[in-house]
Amino acid sequence: MNPHARHSASPNAMFASLIANRRLVAQLTRREVVSRYRGSIAGLAWSFFNPLLMLGIYTFVFSTVFKARWGVEAEESRAGFAVILFVGVMLHGLLAECITKAPGLILNNVSYVKKVVFPLEILPWVAVGSALFHAAISLGVLLLAQLVLGHAIPWTALLFPLVLLPLVLVAAGFSWLLAATSVYIRDIGMITGLFATILLFLAPVFYPLSALPDEYHWLMLLNPLTFIIEQSRLVLLSGNVPDWQGLGVFFVVALSFAWIGFWWFQRTRNGFADVL
Amino acid sequence: MGSQMYSEADPVRNCQSADAKSDPAQSYAIRISAVSKCFRIYDRPQDRLKQSLVARFARLVGREDRRYFREFWAVRDVSLDVRRGETLGIIGRNGSGKSTLLQMICGTLTPSAGSIEVYGRVAALLELGSGFNPEFTGRENVHLNAMVLGLTQAQVDERFDAIVEFADIGEFIDQPVKTYSSGMYVRLAFAVIAHVDADILVIDEALSVGDVFFTQKCMRFLRKFQETGTVVFVSHDAAAVTNLCNRAALLDSGRLAMVGDAKSVCEAYHASGYEQSLRPARKTAAPSEKTVAPKVVKPKITPVSEMNVFRFDPERSRFGSGAATIAGAALADSEGHPLFRIVGGEAVRLVVEVDIHARLHSPIVGFMLKDRLGQALFGDNTYLAYERDPVPVEPGDRICAEFEFVMPILQQGHYSVDLAVADGTYLEHEQADWLHDGLIIESHTSSVSTGLVGIPFQNIRLFRGRRTT
Repeated sequence: MNPHARHSASPNAMFASLIANRRLVAQLTRREVVSRYRGSIAGLAWSFFNPLLMLGIYTFVFSTVFKARWGVEAEESRAGFAVILFVGVMLHGLLAECITKAPGLILNNVSYVKKVVFPLEILPWVAVGSALFHAAISLGVLLLAQLVLGHAIPWTALLFPLVLLPLVLVAAGFSWLLAATSVYIRDIGMITGLFATILLFLAPVFYPLSALPDEYHWLMLLNPLTFIIEQSRLVLLSGNVPDWQGLGVFFVVALSFAWIGFWWFQRTRNGFADVL
Repeated sequence: MGSQMYSEADPVRNCQSADAKSDPAQSYAIRISAVSKCFRIYDRPQDRLKQSLVARFARLVGREDRRYFREFWAVRDVSLDVRRGETLGIIGRNGSGKSTLLQMICGTLTPSAGSIEVYGRVAALLELGSGFNPEFTGRENVHLNAMVLGLTQAQVDERFDAIVEFADIGEFIDQPVKTYSSGMYVRLAFAVIAHVDADILVIDEALSVGDVFFTQKCMRFLRKFQETGTVVFVSHDAAAVTNLCNRAALLDSGRLAMVGDAKSVCEAYHASGYEQSLRPARKTAAPSEKTVAPKVVKPKITPVSEMNVFRFDPERSRFGSGAATIAGAALADSEGHPLFRIVGGEAVRLVVEVDIHARLHSPIVGFMLKDRLGQALFGDNTYLAYERDPVPVEPGDRICAEFEFVMPILQQGHYSVDLAVADGTYLEHEQADWLHDGLIIESHTSSVSTGLVGIPFQNIRLFRGRRTT
């Protein structure tokens, strides 16, 4: 057994290590989620209140202060606007959490790099897992809000995990890419927050895609969130099936992106211990 | 040291290459082949980026590449095999590359050249503590660490209590590790690696951090582990290496200077150390003038070894059938008054009290004084003195054993006394009670110049001329 065998960077290894270390991933994810609220009085309840409060603030600012209107529907209620908006906020939250956390994944776990032989490649999965937990809570808030507002939850909501899957892959790809690169270039940690904000405002979160002049559409479509947010609204709110073909293409692209991130991570990780 | 570099004449090396044809997994635990490690030292962080981008681009277009770094070779061309079941010591001065080599064995650092193969599960105790996350509690770290080292969740749950007991850090197990003292950190780290069924143990002089009881506990574990497992032990303490290891390797400025049996390597290490410190002195020392009369040099001979003796502690770990228990022990002077401060060379009496719980036909009471490495320095028992007419005892009795001896001069450090009572003969007996570290002796100052213990010398002379007798 050679402890310095090249770390496999094959697409299979990407999932094989997740399966092999699933207990470790689960344990670390649980810890990550719990530790964020440790010491606060409300504890885990914050993971529920946070999205709820955000929903309230966004609704107030955008519907009352800015008087923004969503599309053409005439008798659109304030609460209806909130629900539409919240789908975007939730999905952006998922990706943004992964992107902003990624630069610290290796840098903050130096002992895993230098003191033990740790399956470092699972750390991004932990970040993704923790972000998924928060997204799941937000989803619960969203579905609850819909019920409270008297909207029925369409059956197509069951398809939501399928729509979400490509975004999870994109998030994992970003995590590997940024986690590995920021070991060498610390500046990355400084710009991920800005990058996440750009992703938020260049996606149809607070305004519909149609509100943007045509010549800027390409900019929006570059954003991985745009397509997923649109499709999520279809399955969660309108009760339509998603654009299967588009979703398929997106999935393949997302998988490739995740693999590029993984490949980069596996190829650069041998140098981590030298730099840290 | 240069002359002691690896050569074809080295018998150890030759015998290794002879049986290397057999399955390596059977005979070797670790094989290190021509391993080097070079660290690139960049003056500014952005140089690192420049090196990876600009240099690569320059090579691509065929231009001569510019270097943005300085090289530092921490380990250079080291080849070393560790056989299954042996204990190898790696010794060398600070900065000689010991830790770097160790980290490469563990797989946390990647060699710049050469290869390392490891057969079996490695558990490492590198510097201070292993891969603990400072923000996590001790409990969480134990779980994660044990899982990283290859235990399943069920196994961790099963052994958790044993680990906590071994570490003996009390309530702190539920506190974040960042609040630990360095001693507690090492205790917990050692407790984990002691319970993960490792095949190969890698230890980097971390044992000196704990207190005397924990050090003794570690040494007991280590000596037991040595019976079956492979150990790589890194230290700059030659005494520890001689004591614990079968073989040793001496590193000097990243190169393997010598490999062989622990004793001769440590002697060479010592010699090289003295060589360096004596070299300037040798130059200035002018040959002394001849004097006719024999000159007697009488150095201070009075023993200067002061020792504190701590009170008997019955709460230490023990084993045995329970037919009798060690109830007390103390050092006393010849009149029986307890002593808490003694000097080397003083006549003392060790009194051991034993409570009897079952009928014993021929009880034997014994003691053993150990140094900080768990090495027995001396000890004795009552067997020979009472071989012919044993003293049978009944339940409820209390018996007393006394050992009168001259306390040797002890090197500075902590010493512990194991106390034991058994029933039977020297060869065949049942252990009724064995109390680890019942008495602790701390030696402060010492005049021992060499050796594990010193004995009080009557006189020391140095003169010209023939021997007087």
